[in-house]
Amino acid sequence: MNKEELLKGLREGVIEYDEDKVKKLAEEWLKAGYDANEGIFEGLAAGMEVVGDLFAKNEYFVPEVLMCADALYAGLDILRPHVKVDKGKKKLKGEVVIGTVEGDVHDIGKNIVKLMFEVAGFTVHDLGKDVPLDKFVEEQMRTDSDLVCLSAMMTTTMVGMKKVIEKIRAKNPKVKILIGGAPVTKEVAEMYGADGYGRDASNALTEAIKMISSLREMRREDKI
Amino acid sequence: MADGLNSKERVIKLLNGDVVDRVPCFSGMGNITVEGLNKSGVSFVEAHKSPEGMARAAASSFELFGYESAVAPFDLGVEAEALGCRINFYEHSEGIIYPTVKTKILHTGDELSMPEDFLERGRIPLVAKALEILKRDMGEKVAIGSYILGPFTLAGQLMDLNELLKDSFKRQGDIRRLLDSLKAPLIALGNHLIESGADFITVREMGASADIISPRMFKNLIMPPLKEVISEIHGLRILHICGDTNPIVGMMQECGAEAISVEQKNDVAATRAALGDEAVILGNIDAFNLLVKGTPEEVREAVKKAIKAGVDGVMPGCDIWPEAKAENMRALVEATAEYGSGRIGEEK
Ligand code: B12
Repeated sequence: MNKEELLKGLREGVIEYDEDKVKKLAEEWLKAGYDANEGIFEGLAAGMEVVGDLFAKNEYFVPEVLMCADALYAGLDILRPHVKVDKGKKKLKGEVVIGTVEGDVHDIGKNIVKLMFEVAGFTVHDLGKDVPLDKFVEEQMRTDSDLVCLSAMMTTTMVGMKKVIEKIRAKNPKVKILIGGAPVTKEVAEMYGADGYGRDASNALTEAIKMISSLREMRREDKI
Repeated sequence: MADGLNSKERVIKLLNGDVVDRVPCFSGMGNITVEGLNKSGVSFVEAHKSPEGMARAAASSFELFGYESAVAPFDLGVEAEALGCRINFYEHSEGIIYPTVKTKILHTGDELSMPEDFLERGRIPLVAKALEILKRDMGEKVAIGSYILGPFTLAGQLMDLNELLKDSFKRQGDIRRLLDSLKAPLIALGNHLIESGADFITVREMGASADIISPRMFKNLIMPPLKEVISEIHGLRILHICGDTNPIVGMMQECGAEAISVEQKNDVAATRAALGDEAVILGNIDAFNLLVKGTPEEVREAVKKAIKAGVDGVMPGCDIWPEAKAENMRALVEATAEYGSGRIGEEK
């Protein structure tokens, strides 16, 4: 198989949730000496983008997406250790803490958002669902993450976000905070003092990337 | 023409497929409001944990707003608790937080064996008692409702949901057996709730929301055990599923309940066209965006629209969200009485 065929196979493996195929092709990709990063982004992640479209068009549903995610992770496990870290260059993508707030078990949407972050190359610390509010603050400090993502699907649990935001701001004013979930609107995000809100998974990603680059910008100016 | 029915008669006749004087405004799912809790002096925790508290809270929307049913319980953890899961009631938290399942007890490959004393476990006796109280105190005036989960939704409470969703594909045979093993407790519970005083039972398969599961998986995996559970419950039954249910309304109807209930994402006119005049369709008022965030005028418009589109009973699309405004609840009931008179079917 040539390079193009391998990439196409990786994409298809993700879309058809064929873990074995993805594993096999990821090994072949490395054996042929190609760049691991390219395999991840032009192969696995590109496949996952198609999955996102299929989900948006109601051709794929949640179980399909979760299985595609497993195929993607199988490939990432193989390729990631071989990604060359360019020490001179600043890491573009950041670290994210994500979770569904206390009192709320709805985590299907949160899991999809998390997946998109992983596809895009972020390091994600997933706290799960029904997460005690202080846990977000602790985990952000522990990991020194650039971004905290909060999900709530109910209006009563949504108010918990406001408290988390206040606590994080008190400790670490520069962290960016992104919130989402069905009841969350732009107005809510502004009222609670979040840096942004995401309607769906891909929108969340665009917002996150914007935030992190502005954060990096700020840090650079600070340092000099 | 059936004149001068009271709420109970109206709901029961409707579910029996008889002619009624007007469209009723009721629900098969949770119907408490903060207003109702305050007026009846019941805390949110008591509404889950004391039979009197549960009964008083369940009656409050009828008493305050003329809502035409009283439904208990309010959470989705009754079955799971009786089957051995630990439940978090958030007893020390301020504000309204619904109970959640804390510990999961099943994995793919497992089958559940129903405990002999299932009906005596957890809060099942408490819910039964609450229904008895409701029956005793207001059983002649208002329809008493209760609910059980559908097998797939119950499975989502008993095991990790990601595991369930993925293995519904990868290990469909195992999941089919697991779902089959959940039928017996659900059937036993449904019948027990009817014997305790419920005039009708809603089967809530909200974990199989049409936004989450494909119609194909609904047909192959979710519908067969759901249909069996419904057919073994001897009483009046409603099947409720959330999300964009239009692609599956035919299958919902085939499940054999007296009525189906759908939420705001359902295009009711299309559902009516697909199912014909005989089907009893309930819905589809947005329980949050209208009842909590909307104005009475918007609620009235939505009621009018739902009736025009062809609902036989005006029902919120899910549990009434407790923060629903009192004036919106009143508008919901009043607008239903106003726009829903005349023989069902004429307005269509
Ligand atoms: C499936 C479901 C359940 C499942 C949850 C399983 C699970 N582990 O997640 C079960 C059956 C357990 C459940 C339980 C309950 N539920 Co429920 N449930 C739903 C349902 C049908 C679908 C939610 C869903 O997963 N959608 C699919 C995903 C992909 O969409 P999403 O979550 O919106 O996520 C997207 C975006 O919001 C965004 N996003 C999400 N999070 C984040 C985070 C960030 C940072 C960003 C940027 C973006 C983002 O991106 C996602 C991907 O596109 C909704 C109704 C609905 N149609 O929304 C009700 C709903 C959320 N539930 C509701 C209720 C009332 C309950 C219960 C309280 C019922 C009860 N009586 O006990 C309990 C909750 C108990 C508790 N304390 O948590 C209400 C909430 C009302 C309100 N406004 O507050 C809803 C809206 C139904 C309704 N119409 O009334 N539920």
